[in-house]
This record gives sequence, structure tokens and C-alpha cells, in this order.
Amino acid sequence: MSNTVKVQPDLKFVKELQAVGGDSLKKCYQCATCSVVCPLSPDDNPYPRKEMVWAQWGLKDRLVNDIDIWLCHNCGTCSDLCPRGAKPGDLLSALRNMAYRNLAPLPIIGKWMSSSAGMLPLAAIPALIYGIIWVLMAGKVGSFLPRFEWDAANHAWIPTADGKIVFGGLFPGDYTIDPIFMAVFAFMLWAFYAGVRNMIKAFDAQPKTFIVGRKSAPTMLAAFIDTVKYEILQHTQFNDCNDADADELDVKRAKGHRWLMFAFIALLIVTGVVATGHWGGWLLRTLGITGLGEIVSAIGHTPMPFYHPIKLLALVGAGLGVYGLVALTKRRVNLDAAKQSSSWYDWYLITLVWVVFGTGIGAMVFRVMGAGLLAYPTYYVHLISVFMLLAYLPWSKLGHLVYRTVALSYAKKIGRIPMGADK
Amino acid sequence: MAEKLGVYICGGCDIGANLDVDALAQFVAGGKHSAAVTVAKANPVLCSPEGKAEIEADIAAQGLDGVVCCACTPRAKWDVFRFGEKVQVERVSLREHCVWSFQDDPAFPGQMEVIAKDYINMGVSKLTKSRIPAPEITESYKTVLVVGGGYAGLNAALNAASLGYPVVLVEKADTLGGKAATMYKSFPLSGSFGDKTQEIGVKELIAEVQANDKIKVITGTTVESLAGAPAKYKATIGGTVYEIGAVVMATGWVPGKTKFLAPLGYGKVKNVVTSAEFEAMAKNGGIKTAEGKAPTSVAFIVDTSLLMKGVNYDACGAACAAPEDMPCKEDQPAEAADECEVFTYEDKESAKHLAYSSELTSLVALKQANYVRELAPDAMAYVIYDHMMVPGINEKYYQTAQDDPGIMLTKGTVTSVEEAGSEVVIKAKNTLIGDDIAISADLVVVPTAIVPTTAADPTMNFVYRQGPAFPDLDLFDGFADSNYICFPYETRRTGVYAAGCVRQPMGLGLAAEDAAGAALKAIQCIESANRGVSVHPRSGDLSFPEFNFMRCTQCKRCTEECPFGALDDDEKGTPMPNPTRCRRCGTCMGACPERVISFANYGIDQIGSAIKEVKVPDTLDAGGPRVIILACENDAYPALDMAAMRGRSWSPYVRFLSVRCLGSVNAIWVADAMSKGVDGLLMLGCKYGDDYQCHFVKGSELCNRRKENIAESLGRLGVEPERVEQYEVSIDMYDKVPDMIDDFVSNIVNNFGPNPFKGY
Repeated sequence: MSNTVKVQPDLKFVKELQAVGGDSLKKCYQCATCSVVCPLSPDDNPYPRKEMVWAQWGLKDRLVNDIDIWLCHNCGTCSDLCPRGAKPGDLLSALRNMAYRNLAPLPIIGKWMSSSAGMLPLAAIPALIYGIIWVLMAGKVGSFLPRFEWDAANHAWIPTADGKIVFGGLFPGDYTIDPIFMAVFAFMLWAFYAGVRNMIKAFDAQPKTFIVGRKSAPTMLAAFIDTVKYEILQHTQFNDCNDADADELDVKRAKGHRWLMFAFIALLIVTGVVATGHWGGWLLRTLGITGLGEIVSAIGHTPMPFYHPIKLLALVGAGLGVYGLVALTKRRVNLDAAKQSSSWYDWYLITLVWVVFGTGIGAMVFRVMGAGLLAYPTYYVHLISVFMLLAYLPWSKLGHLVYRTVALSYAKKIGRIPMGADK
Repeated sequence: MAEKLGVYICGGCDIGANLDVDALAQFVAGGKHSAAVTVAKANPVLCSPEGKAEIEADIAAQGLDGVVCCACTPRAKWDVFRFGEKVQVERVSLREHCVWSFQDDPAFPGQMEVIAKDYINMGVSKLTKSRIPAPEITESYKTVLVVGGGYAGLNAALNAASLGYPVVLVEKADTLGGKAATMYKSFPLSGSFGDKTQEIGVKELIAEVQANDKIKVITGTTVESLAGAPAKYKATIGGTVYEIGAVVMATGWVPGKTKFLAPLGYGKVKNVVTSAEFEAMAKNGGIKTAEGKAPTSVAFIVDTSLLMKGVNYDACGAACAAPEDMPCKEDQPAEAADECEVFTYEDKESAKHLAYSSELTSLVALKQANYVRELAPDAMAYVIYDHMMVPGINEKYYQTAQDDPGIMLTKGTVTSVEEAGSEVVIKAKNTLIGDDIAISADLVVVPTAIVPTTAADPTMNFVYRQGPAFPDLDLFDGFADSNYICFPYETRRTGVYAAGCVRQPMGLGLAAEDAAGAALKAIQCIESANRGVSVHPRSGDLSFPEFNFMRCTQCKRCTEECPFGALDDDEKGTPMPNPTRCRRCGTCMGACPERVISFANYGIDQIGSAIKEVKVPDTLDAGGPRVIILACENDAYPALDMAAMRGRSWSPYVRFLSVRCLGSVNAIWVADAMSKGVDGLLMLGCKYGDDYQCHFVKGSELCNRRKENIAESLGRLGVEPERVEQYEVSIDMYDKVPDMIDDFVSNIVNNFGPNPFKGY
């Protein structure tokens, strides 16, 4: 019945997989407890047992084309109940880590992202860019920690000795921040595009599931909308990713993850409004629509007063982010190392997000306090961390934002997981 | 002969509550044996200190030379009812055979008293016909001969020497060390059992043996002959005769013939080697393919299903057939006699040896996979197994291999091994990923069977009447084993104890343990022979078969049927006993048509008389039927005890007699019983056949064969053959044996009625 599979175990691949977090995968003795206890695994060809054999045998082709690694939300029940301590949950994490490393182009970034040794070059790029800007601008405004006054007529910040701390004065948005981040954003989109293309190509090898009673497969768009609605906004699968006696930390994990995501959405809106206000206002004014241009510019004008709705949204976002981060960090710190471990990818992301939020909030606080010596360096670090978050997104664990969305949509389309409404 | 008996009836353990013990005492005192009975008493608890003191006082005061304790089974309180070397003891099991297992028959109420009286009479009669054995004790040699200088042999020699016994160590090769010296490393022998490999330390072991002044090492030669008997062996080694007490046979194994490996591509596909060949590669400077390259992948095939096609496990060959293989029967024509004197030893090797070696095949594959990882770190090792057999602590070893990223283990049934370019492709089904797989490797290692040296060679070259080899090794496909469950080192030749792979496939750790066990057995043999006692299984038994040569007709049945070759004979065919070879089972006694063989305390007349003590009513209507049951003391008798202790009961018309082995049952007992009017005779003995459980290997089988002859004779006399049956009972069948008895009795009564000889 079954076809003969040519097996050519790849020792290098097994070792690589062990290096990115699957170090105990060889302990598996195929009892399939993991697949049985998994709250999400489908009845047909369940994971993670099959992934364990493939990994043990070094069947690289099967693993890198495997959609199931994205269906797992890593509750750790399988690893908890594994009688051999083989940690199947960790293996799936490790496989996702390998995907982050290998899906997007520019393998050098993937390599740097895979271990702490790569941190230095990764951080050096934005540090250098913003360092140069800082030095050049310091020469222009006459101080490394300058203070400014707003010249409404010229739409510009004028350095004065007893003015306010204005980050935009030292790092002008128009010429430094915005073009760089736009370029970074474009770079990120390009990398994701290539990564997603690779991913879908790999998934095309997946067997199609025949579902009794299903008339026709949903379109990719319908599956995508379903994924956004159920899996992103409601975290349906993620919430199911618990065993019957899930402890408090597991429950908080899903909540924390969701709040952190909402925080990012809030901050995305803030960024969008500010950018639209600024560039939109400029565009309108340049086009001669001065009145509307002034209003639009005013909406996006920074720094904003604390009563400004966008500022309030930013503050709420920061608050939610910190709340989510605390929940996720607490769980990760309390993981039983014998059951589930955290890889470099986990710590990199969680630390980086902490730095983004920490320096973002810190820069604001120091700015308001008027402590220039603290405010500017904190802002500088903030810039670096945001750069790192965005530019390397396709190679980081945060890449799941895109990859998992695509994979879940694809899985819904082929019927590997049900559409949200059919659950 | 015990002449002044004390008979004591115990009233404890429900006996007193069911039987009038004082009346029984009076019955004995005034009964048919009153002449021999000096004292007859009842005691409320005979095994109590007071009870025992009473017996001892009577022995002292009356000079008793025999005590009949009518209490519990002889298997209980045996340590209490002992009264020194001069006083014989007979136990009558009133508790188990009479009171606890009693089943009332409304047709003839009050049978319990009848049973008790029968048993007491039987016990008294047995003791009056019993003597204290007086073995002839001769000077014995103390030297332990260790044959084989491999890992087991070296250890055995050191073990025996460490206990103060001189050792002669014989090795066929020119150097010591055997197979262990040709191995690169071993799986863990001690300590951390998860270690990848351990050094074996053969060199150190050899040095220790060579430095030991109690051990005489002889290399480059074999045992040409072993004559005599335990404690008095004369071993001819390299033309020199050595005086030997007992032997540890550690002659080990040879790699199985490669012709059995052909289905796995051996001999046809270039890069398929045996694990023995692979071991040699690892030992002698590295793993190389036929092209001389270091392999990037090595596959180990543990699954042998391809090799086992058509292998039949059912038949046991010649060993199951009637013993027509005795050398030279007297009724054979002269020309055939010449032919049959030429001894041929059939090679017992087959593909089955691969299956028997499966535990080692698994362990060796894991070990050699570790070699690959050690000697070629970038190479992958694949292990394809049907059953990964790593019992006990070796599970740790398996786990270690499993954790190695360079070792891929899969369950699978290998379907083909073929050459593909410079590689070998193995195809397998039923694998862990569910699909059939094809896996290519630079080198493929197929298992090596452990074939005992005794499969193709008599090895010890006994100068025994029954021939130079161990008998019936076909049963074990050549492995020198006789009853692995109960007596691991025992062979069919007392005084020769097998250790290591000659006995069963095993690793070095177990071989060292075997060596210690076999060395201790050899010493036990020496230290038993010099005291005139049996070694095993009747350890410490002083009795031995005594021959009344005046009446011997030189029929040779005893010499041929002794399972242990204890009897030689002279030119006329007169048996020549070798008491130190003897295990005291009585098979010769059962065989003898002239009834000239008996033991001092277990004889043909003694048991025959005891049977005659059973009072048989003249008709069935006068008191029911009577059935004699001869129960083997090793399994059947304990099973009966256990049944009685668990409250089971059976027909009140049966009377038990314990026998040493069904092999000791002489046809005359059956004839006596039948002529006395007994309605049926049942023999309960051990399982026989190729998975026999007989403690004396052949006893129950021989009895069964003799029974056919008896049945034939009975038929001629008009007695239905069904009245004599033999059932196989193992010790754990205590829950079934009562029904077996009842069914036998009811079958006799309902289908055959009274014995036609009844009442004569």
C-alpha cells in the first residue's frame, strides 16, 4: 500500500536541530503519548510523534515542508507527559526556529539570529547608523544633548540653551528616522514575501485532506480572513492549547500573548497616525491645501500633549504591552527545565520587546522630566531596538506573525484544521 | 532394617479433631505390624518441643531405630522430625492426604479412618523395609579441570583457585583469551551501564591466571578423553593423564556458518560483512569498506526474519524418537554392528542459532554502532531491528545509543539487501514511519550466530558406555544444557558443568557469572563425592543403587536407560556402577526386569509391600474402589500438598505413594497392585518431550514408554489398559490435580467397573 521511502538520514541536520532547541529529540521511543495528549493535534496523521521520528532520522525534507509545526501553539502538554523526557514540544519549537532561520533570504541574518554570537553585528548596524546621525546632528545643533524651541513659522525646531528635550530635533524625522524606517519596512516586507513564497511552495507537497461533508475548499482569502478573525483576534486555537488541568501560568500565557499583540496593534495605529499626520500634512501643504494641511499636521504633531487621544492610545498600548510581557516572561522563567526549555529565539524576542517597551517608556519619562543625559541615550537605544525588531522580523521568532498566519490560513484551506466557524 | 519402631500420631492441625488419634495408636500397637512396633502413641502437637522430647525420650529409653511420624507432609517440619543418623524416620501425611483433602462419599461414610489406617500401615511397612545407606567413601581428586581459556574459562579457573582448589586450564588455541581477546571492546560489564563501550581487560585476566600458582595452563591442545567418574576422573590432555575431580566446560562458541546469511546478501553483495568480521575490523585498525575507504554510513541488520523462513521449531529431531540410537543393539546383525560402532556426531547447527543469539545480536549491533561513532565520527550508523532485545539493565545501553544523533534506530522487517553502485540498499517494511523504506549504506553488518562448540563436536570425549558426547543435545540445538530452569550449569554428565556460550548465548558479564556458578558446582561435586553423597538434584543423598549381580541377566537396560550414563559395563554386559556419576533417581531400578536394583531406603520390595498394605475391599459394593497413585516427589507430590493446603479435596479411594521419579517405577509395582485387586493405578510425573521438566531428564518419558508395555501385558491378562495412566503434572497445577484424580477414579468406576482380579 505504502510507497517505499528513500531514507537518507542527515547527521548534520540532526545536530543543527539539536542546536536550535531539540537537544533531547533522540530520546523518543515512539510511544505516541504526545500525539494522544495534544489538545490540538488532528486525528489524521497527528503530530508531534511523526515529527519525532523524522527528526531522529534526520529526514530534513519532510520536516522543512511540514505544516504541522505551525499548528502547535506550544502549551507543552506533550513534553510534560513524555515518559522519556524527549520534549516533543521543544522539537516543534526548534523546527519553527529552523524555519525562521531558513525561510527568508539572506542566510547570514538567519545565522546571526540563531545564536547570541550574532547579536553584535545585528545590533552594530542600527547602532552605527544612529550613532553617525547623532554625531553629525550634534555638530550641527552644537550639543550632544541639545534643547529646542518650536519655530512655528519655519516648521522647525531651533536649538536654544533653555528649551525642551525634543528627540525629533536631534534625530529629524524627515531626513533620518522616517526614510530609514521606511527602507527597513520595505526590506522586511520583501524578506517576508520571499519567505512566504518559500513556505507555500513547501506546503504544496502536503497531502490534501478529504473532509466528509465539505463541499469545496475555501479560497485562500476566505481562509485568511477566518484566520485573522478567529486565530489572531480571538486566539481560538491558542486558547484551546491547554490540557484539562492547565495551570494559571498557561492560561495567563494566552492572555498575555493576546494583550501584547493588542499593544502592538495600538502602537501601530499610533505610528500610522503620526506618520499620516506628518507626511500627509506636508503633502497637503505642498499641494497648496494649506488649511487642511495644517490640521492634519497638528494631529500628527509630536511630542503630543497627554490629553491627545493618540497619545492616550500610545500610553494604553505601552501599558498593555508591559502587562503582556510580564505574563509571558513570568511563565517562561518558571518553566520546568526538565519538561520544556527556552531557546535563544525565545529569549531574544522577549528581551528585545522588553527593551523596545522599556526604552520607549523610559525615553518619554526622561524627556518629560527634562533629564537630557538620560533621555537621549535611552531614545538612541530605543531606535536601535525598534530597528532590530523590524528589520530582522522575518528571521526572528516574531516572524510567526506572518508565517503562522499564512500556515494557519493554508491549513484551513486544505482542511488540516477546521474553519473557525466549524469548530 | 528398622526393627524397633516408634509410631506417633499427631493430633494437631485438624487431625485430632477429625480422627480418634488414641484409637489409631492402639490400632498400630495391636495391629499386623505389632511385632515391629515398640511404641505407639498419640500426641496433641507432635512438632511441639514436648512432642519432640517425648519421641527423643522413647528413642533413648527403648532404643528405637525407626520413627513413624503420622502428622503432616514430609515437606513440612522436616527439620523438626530428625533424630540423628542412627534413627530412620518415615513420615505419614495424615494431614494433607487424609484430613485436609478428605471428601466424604455418602455411599460409604467414615472413609477417613480407613484412609488413615492404610497410610499408617504403609508407613510402618516402608520403614521396616528400609536400611540406613552406607556408601563406600574413597579418596577423591580435588583438581578442577577447566576446559576453554576464554573469558568464562579464565574466570572459572580464578574462581576455583581462589577457593583453594588446584586447577588445570586447557585451551585449544596457542594463547589464552578466547573470543574476548579478539573483541575490540564490550558493552558495559559493570558500573555505569549507560557507557558507550568498556574495555574488557582480557590481558589483565590472562596475566592474573598465569601468575596464579594453583592454575596449570595448558595451551594448544584439547581434552582427548575423560574417563572414570566425578572425583576420580582421568583426563587425557595432550597425551598426559591428569587426575581430575570435576570439570568446568567453558569451550565457548564459534561464529555460525555464513551460508545461513545468504538471504541478507552475504557472499553476494560486496560490502555485507558479519558482525564477527566487523568486530575484527574494529580491533585491527579501523572500519573500512571493501574498497578500503572509511564508510560514511554503516547499517546493522538485527532483524533476522529473512533468514528464518522455513525454520521449524516443532520437531526436536532424533531426541524425540524412541531411543533406537543406542550404540549397537545385541539383536542387530553382525555387519550392522561393525557399522554402528563407528561413532558419528551430527552437526546441530541451523539458522535457528541466529534466533537464539538475538539478545546478543541486538547488544552487539548497538555496541558496533558505537564503534562507528567512535572510529568514524562523521559516519551514521543505522540499526534495523524487529525486536530490540536488551533485557534488564541493558535498557540503559539502548537509551545511550538512542541519544546519539549519529545512530538511527528503527523497527523494521528487512525485505531485501541489494547492491547499488558502491552502496548497499536495504529495503524494509513495518518501520516506525509507517512507510516501507529503502536505506543505503556503504557497509552492511549482518548478525553472527553463536554456535556452541558442542554443536559439532563431542568436546569432552567421555569414555562412557553411552558414548563420548552429551546425549540428546539436538533438543537444545547443540547447546550443552540439560535443564536450564532448575540447574543452570548442569549437563547430562554429573561432574561436568557448562559455563558461558557453550551453554547459551550470553555476553561477557553473564559469562563471568556463569564461570563462578559452574566453578562452585564443580567444587560441590568434589565435596559431595568424597562424602559419598549425591550432588544434585538430591543433594546430600547418601543412598545409591545396589545391584544384586547374582540375578542380573546382563540385559543392559539399566546401562542404556540411565539418563546420566552412570553405568558402564564389562564385556559380558554386567553393569559397572559409578556411584559418583549417579543422581539417585532410580531409573535403573525402574528399568530392571529382574528387579535386582534397589536402594537401601528406597526399593522395589519396599514400595511393592507398601502398595500391598492398602486394604482393598473384595467388591466395589463392600467399600468402594481403590486407586493407587504414584506421585513424583519433585512436582506432583508438592502440587498435591498445595492443593490440600488450599482446601481442595478428592476421592477418598485413592492412596498416594511418593516416588523419586517416575523413572524409578518398576512394572512389578503395577502388577502387584493389579493382582491385589486395585481398580486403577495413576502415575503423576513431570512433563516430558522436548520441553521436559523432569528433574532427571528422562524419567517421566521412560516411564511413559514402559507404561505402554505394561498396558500391553495387562491387556493379555484381561485387565483394561486404561486402568493404568500417566499424567503430566507441574508444580503449579495444584488447582487442576484434584480434578484429574477425580476424573480418573470416576472413569475407572463408571466405565470399567471393578478390577477383574478383585477378590482373588
